[in-house]
Amino acid sequence: MTAGRIAITGMGVFCGAAQSVPAFRDAILHGVSGVGPVDLFDVAAFPSQIAVQVKEYDPGAWFTRRQATRLSRTDQFALLAAKEALAMSGLSGCYDPYDIGVCVGGGAAGMFQAEQWLAAELRGETARPAQLRGVLPDKTCTELAQTFCLAGYQGSITTACSSSATAIGWGADLIRTGRQKAMLCGGADSLALLTFAGFNSLKVMDPEPCAPFSLGRQGITLGEGAAFVVLEEEQAARARGAEIFGFLLGYALLGEAHHMTAPEPSGESAARVMTAALAAAGLASDRVGWVNAHGTGTPANDVVESNAMQQVFGDRVQQVPLISTKPITGHCLGAAGSIESVATLLALNAKTIPRTLHFRGKDPECDLDYCHDASKPSDSSVALSNSFAFGGNITCLALAAADLQQGGA
Amino acid sequence: MDTFSGTIAITGASAVTVAGTGLDPVLSALKEGRSCLQPVPEEVLAGGHGLLWGRATQFKAADFMPPLKARKLDRCSQFAVATTGQALREAGIDKGAIPAERIGIALGCGFGGIANSAEFLTGYFRQGVAGLSPLLFPNTVANAPASNASIEFGLKGPNITFVQRFCSAESAILSACRFIEEGRADVMLAGGVDELTPLMMKGFAALGQVHSYASGFGEGCGILVLEREEHAVAHGVAIKARIGRIATLGLLLPDAEQAGIDRLLPAQRSFDQVSLSGAGAGIDLLAGKIAAQTVLRTGQIVGQSLAMGGVALGAFSYLLQPGQSGLHLAASPEGPYFAFSLHGDTPA
Repeated sequence: MTAGRIAITGMGVFCGAAQSVPAFRDAILHGVSGVGPVDLFDVAAFPSQIAVQVKEYDPGAWFTRRQATRLSRTDQFALLAAKEALAMSGLSGCYDPYDIGVCVGGGAAGMFQAEQWLAAELRGETARPAQLRGVLPDKTCTELAQTFCLAGYQGSITTACSSSATAIGWGADLIRTGRQKAMLCGGADSLALLTFAGFNSLKVMDPEPCAPFSLGRQGITLGEGAAFVVLEEEQAARARGAEIFGFLLGYALLGEAHHMTAPEPSGESAARVMTAALAAAGLASDRVGWVNAHGTGTPANDVVESNAMQQVFGDRVQQVPLISTKPITGHCLGAAGSIESVATLLALNAKTIPRTLHFRGKDPECDLDYCHDASKPSDSSVALSNSFAFGGNITCLALAAADLQQGGA
Repeated sequence: MDTFSGTIAITGASAVTVAGTGLDPVLSALKEGRSCLQPVPEEVLAGGHGLLWGRATQFKAADFMPPLKARKLDRCSQFAVATTGQALREAGIDKGAIPAERIGIALGCGFGGIANSAEFLTGYFRQGVAGLSPLLFPNTVANAPASNASIEFGLKGPNITFVQRFCSAESAILSACRFIEEGRADVMLAGGVDELTPLMMKGFAALGQVHSYASGFGEGCGILVLEREEHAVAHGVAIKARIGRIATLGLLLPDAEQAGIDRLLPAQRSFDQVSLSGAGAGIDLLAGKIAAQTVLRTGQIVGQSLAMGGVALGAFSYLLQPGQSGLHLAASPEGPYFAFSLHGDTPA
């Protein structure tokens, strides 16, 4: 076991809202939404026709023609975000490759390509087999490990919308217990007809840009992209001269054991996972400045998450803003947790609580501070990031700014 | 490289496979060296003469749950719910006997959700929006089997699903051991679940894999009940075997292959029994580095898949005699690689 904190020494983002960490920082701090029309596939038949798509994406600008053919859209996003994170970390050559692992949270993975294969099959046309290669999320992990020569642990977590948050927590466990010296952790996902049609069929997609915690909200706006962080034990990172961008102080995961799609209504489970994350981090709840919500904008989620906040923070709840960055990024499903972790770290380091965009009116069932009007300054160095998923797979990360002093937790 | 070192007790296990429901049919077939695989029907794969597969055709969801509930679950979830119930009974754990927050589930899931995804999309491609079935969509996610099992049995502890090629179940079992080690749970159900459909065979054929990785593919579920040794002793359950060490690597680097193997395999490389799971050259490479009196290849008996390591480990833990040492090796083509050290029920 190692007693040191888990330091974040690299971050990378490639998503519909921004295609690099500096651009993403601007989007998060200034509240710039990437929501727009979808042209990746035909959405004319659906009530909601918007998403935060990676627009005008040209694989040829990033990959050779052979690579672009071989790699799914999701895998390409993952490689781009991971490359930025690893470059930022300066990790190359610092550890034995067997001491560096990779853990990816996945979702629809290469379904965007695979569903084109299925459509061709059903039409009786000759389908391109290569479109099936990335259908499982573990392909992303394999590509990252092989491309960047990460020969240690290799794992892909597939718990829907909490996948990549759990991947980061799990990666930290592998370091904290001394089993790996560094981990590349995060998630990647792309828009696909499956998820677009699926959430529309459940009637949980808002025709307008999602409006978490607002009156009249109708559901989610989907997004796509990838985000990765590089994790190391703090002293090892400092010893090699790495810059530290923040800390993962602890995490918790659990199953609600309630329903495949509906959250446990009292908020008890959501409160339990936040409380458990605080306990794992050794934090009292009064150290938390704000919470990056799962905040999808569905009528049910936002009430449950607000109720859970009351249970965790009690009388102090009005001093702990619950904000959602999904109006900026869209709900990136398998990548949501990692994208929101990076958003949280960037905001913590900027001493700013991001604004929750697209306010439509005050919902009496959501009566906390959601920063609907504007972002806010904050002197807190600690925030929670929630990720809740189909199946009741819920995860909470306790994150800290780079300036958090040792023992400050 | 990742190494787990603790002592986790296996106190129960069960399976659904082509051999039947429960672990006994698998154990019988293994002892007899009798493959349960069947020829792939011509209507599934034209020209697929000689190819075998292992569909769990004897499994009837109605034996384990009300028909209305079965209709709501995808096939992998049906497998997982049935197997979880049997494994808990094997371990003598009644529903509610352990605080719900202290018992969790970790499953590897290979192609779970793919069948529902294909059916959901087929409805759309054929009939447009009118063909979309909202009932199918929730079970298109790979975590549906673990989640449905958690809902059925009230498992409110850690809940996680992995897919990692042919080592998906082993990935889940590693995480379950760690959750127990870290005190996140007292009991974890852990293993793997996978399904096999005609459409998948068509996909394997399109990728040219039916004579390689997808040869002898199977479906089903294998779940272990894991707990700390003292916890098992406290509730008076018989320990089937103990997991003493788990090591894993993502890649074996060509210029440092021996160094990788040395990290992966324990220093002592002679065992009473060895279990081999997975596909690709890596499993034979690793098997060549160890000595054993008995070698089990459960995948050859009931079919291999991305997550059938749960069946293999379950059977292996029941076949280890008191005091025997065992090693379960799993590998995927080009990685990852796993090595589990097991001991028969005499304390290690």
